[in-house]
Amino acid sequence: MTGPAANRPVERIGARTTLQKLLSRFHFGITLFAVALSGLTILLAGVTALRGYADRNMELAARLGAYGVEPALVFNDPVAVREGLEPLTHIPGIARLRVLDDVGRPLTQWTSPAADPAPILTRVFFPRPFAVTVQRNGSIIGTIEVWGDSSTLIDYVRIGLLAGLGCLLVTALGTIFLARRFEYELVKPLNEIATVAHDVRLHRRFDKRVQPLGIAELDRLGGDINALLDELQGWQGHMESERAMLAHRASHDTLTEMPNRAAFDEQLGQRIQAAETRGARFALLFIDADNFKAANDNFGHAAGDVVLVALSARIKETLRKDDFAARIGGDEFVVIVELDDETRTDGLAARIRTSVAEPILLPGGESYRPAVSVGVATFPDNGDDAIALLTAADAAMYADKMSHRSR
Amino acid sequence: MLASLFLIGALTTTPQMSVQAASQTIVEDNVDGMARAVNRMVGGIVSYARWPDGSATTSRLMCLVGSPRLTERMAPDVPGTGSVVVRRVSADAAMLRTDCDILFLGRMPVADRRQLIAWVRGRPILTITDDDAACIYGAMFCLQNRPASVSFSVNLDAIGRGPLRIDPRVLRIGGGAS
Repeated sequence: MTGPAANRPVERIGARTTLQKLLSRFHFGITLFAVALSGLTILLAGVTALRGYADRNMELAARLGAYGVEPALVFNDPVAVREGLEPLTHIPGIARLRVLDDVGRPLTQWTSPAADPAPILTRVFFPRPFAVTVQRNGSIIGTIEVWGDSSTLIDYVRIGLLAGLGCLLVTALGTIFLARRFEYELVKPLNEIATVAHDVRLHRRFDKRVQPLGIAELDRLGGDINALLDELQGWQGHMESERAMLAHRASHDTLTEMPNRAAFDEQLGQRIQAAETRGARFALLFIDADNFKAANDNFGHAAGDVVLVALSARIKETLRKDDFAARIGGDEFVVIVELDDETRTDGLAARIRTSVAEPILLPGGESYRPAVSVGVATFPDNGDDAIALLTAADAAMYADKMSHRSR
Repeated sequence: MLASLFLIGALTTTPQMSVQAASQTIVEDNVDGMARAVNRMVGGIVSYARWPDGSATTSRLMCLVGSPRLTERMAPDVPGTGSVVVRRVSADAAMLRTDCDILFLGRMPVADRRQLIAWVRGRPILTITDDDAACIYGAMFCLQNRPASVSFSVNLDAIGRGPLRIDPRVLRIGGGAS
């Protein structure tokens, strides 16, 4: 029960062929059929027509013979009868002649020296002789009989077959050419579709589209593929923006939109590496809000958030193009500032302090004047790795905070 | 068309020889054999001759002059519907008559024959003889006896001079055997 069903798919894979071969085979079959059919029809029609002509020819020959041998029969002259038949012996397609007198006695007869090329055909086409009576002034004075042979038919059939073969050859060549052309017209657009599909699958080129192909069915297929590609491209775009959003979210603080601790660690590592290779310097500023916990407690968390957002915005304002700022803890910020030879690090801390000192309008209507402590560490002076730098900056910030308290 | 081709053929094959011999009819080996053969031959010749007047079925008058050498029982056997009436006349009587269609010249004095031949010239009269084997004395058709057969030859000059029309096939037969 499972035997044949299981075998079938294997066979189908084994017999797999290209569309071009399939079309070629199909075309050839149709052409062969058409040419054979028309050739056979023409040959049959020709043989039928020729048979009619051959009959007419025989009859005409018989009448000619009757006319020629008539006086000879009147004078009962066998020699003259033979002479009267003479013109008939040159007519092709006559196998045998016989002249009978008025009582049916054979007077003379003649048989063609040429052998009958196809006795069977002769028997089919000329089963009986053509007999014409010879008359003189209304009375029958003898009979002439003419047997046809197949030589003219054979000639026709031979020429017909040759011509048919020639036609077949010409038609076959023409059909091969046309089929090639047809196959090209059909296979080319299919290949185009396949190329697009292949490109999309292999290189993720979702922007590729099937061009208009000029064949309605294939255009529909192409249109469907294009629509599918549109959808795929849409999905891919969505996925990419989603991924970018996720990546942004992973590296940024949601409240202040500043890079977070993880992003800062990565950035710091890169900066150290870059500065090491170039022999450059940079400063790491550690910023911590003063009395932030008290503000949080006094005005509420919403107010605390407002203060943090305002702080981050003001820190960002102080940055130059290549500088980097991040929020690494509740009220802790870091800034990396590229240093050239003239930049003074103590100026940096002072600028940030001034910048953040403007009063902030809280949601409750109160005005709050924030203050920050800033510690500065420089690479490579205060440390040549991330932990050392951060520790140095933290320590400097702490010292700054202590000095505030003491003030 | 075909007939004229035959005629041309007959003329071209023997351009100079105006006298031709000869067709032959097999003579059956019995008492009436010769008479039947001669009558058949004469009837056949008559049936292939066309007079300016009348048709193939018109009865023709044969004036028999002199004594025939081949048979005394002259009664031409015309195939089909035609017929021939035979009348024995003298040479002078024949020339006085106007109703002779056929003149059969048997054995007769040379002067009579010459006179008759001259008289026939231009008239629609068929001349047949059985006393001129070489067919040189001016008769249109000359019968001759051969072993076991009777034959005839044709004098094309004589036929050409007269207004009678002779079927070229007969001319061909009359000339083809030689």
